[in-house]
Amino acid sequence: MAFDAQGEASDEALMVLYANGDRHAALALTRRVTPRVLAYAARLLSGDRAEAEDVAQETMLRLWRVAPEWRQGETKVTTWAYRVATNLCIDRQRARGRRRQTALDDAPEVADGAPGAEGQLIEAGRIAALEAALADLPERQRQAVVLRHLEGMTNPEIAAIMEIGVEAVESLTARGKRALSALLAGRKEALGYEDDGHAG
Amino acid sequence: MQDDLDDLLASAARRPVAPSEALMERVLADALALQPEPQALRAAAPIPRPGFLARLAAAIGGPPALAGLGTAAVFGLALGYLSPTTMDYLTGASADTAEFFPGADFLTTEG
Repeated sequence: MAFDAQGEASDEALMVLYANGDRHAALALTRRVTPRVLAYAARLLSGDRAEAEDVAQETMLRLWRVAPEWRQGETKVTTWAYRVATNLCIDRQRARGRRRQTALDDAPEVADGAPGAEGQLIEAGRIAALEAALADLPERQRQAVVLRHLEGMTNPEIAAIMEIGVEAVESLTARGKRALSALLAGRKEALGYEDDGHAG
Repeated sequence: MQDDLDDLLASAARRPVAPSEALMERVLADALALQPEPQALRAAAPIPRPGFLARLAAAIGGPPALAGLGTAAVFGLALGYLSPTTMDYLTGASADTAEFFPGADFLTTEG
């Protein structure tokens, strides 16, 4: 089968092809799903790259195992993968205790005088502060905020992943954002708002 | 602050989290190791070949033909063993000798 043709195939169709022994489908699914699961896991795990890679590999391993019994039309591959990754992240956080990988103290100092480099460092510091604040959110709120605002998913998709109603998703997202705002409010300096002239 | 937060979330969403080559290779290796064999390459169960007699029976029409053949064979044997008298009894015919060539007596008459 031509590799281009699989670029148009849905994830669910690729699952069927994979289960039928199509090696191109294995490659296509790896390329499509792994980066998304890794990014999601990294955001849920506050940027812990090694843990996120473990979660991504384990999620994909479970995907390969379930492929022969996959039923097209019942659930989307990405929904299934995000759900598994969520549970794996929760397990790891509970087992090892929540670790803050990127504390505010670790935020890069603005030492370079070049405007471009300074801007990048400020941006990196703000992102680091956001990750730290996300890590302080209650578990479900963090999941909802990450899925909605960082993964760009719709509320019905998030509801399917978290196995809750759409209204509950809206509530979790709203509360999560309010909590994030409160956490970040005391860290404006670290976020670089004053440097950017946004403080006020 | 809410606008700032939305901007910050948007910035974070734009930051790529690219997987390493090593991770992609591990995932693909798992995929290929756990992948079921292709349908076409699976060894098909051997189809049992029928024996000579079974093929012969099938060639002449199967069990119904065999039954007819058996009946005919038994009847043929019976005809062969039965005496002509019994045959006359069965068929109601006379035991007299039939003359198929009445004008050919001179062939068997001397003088």
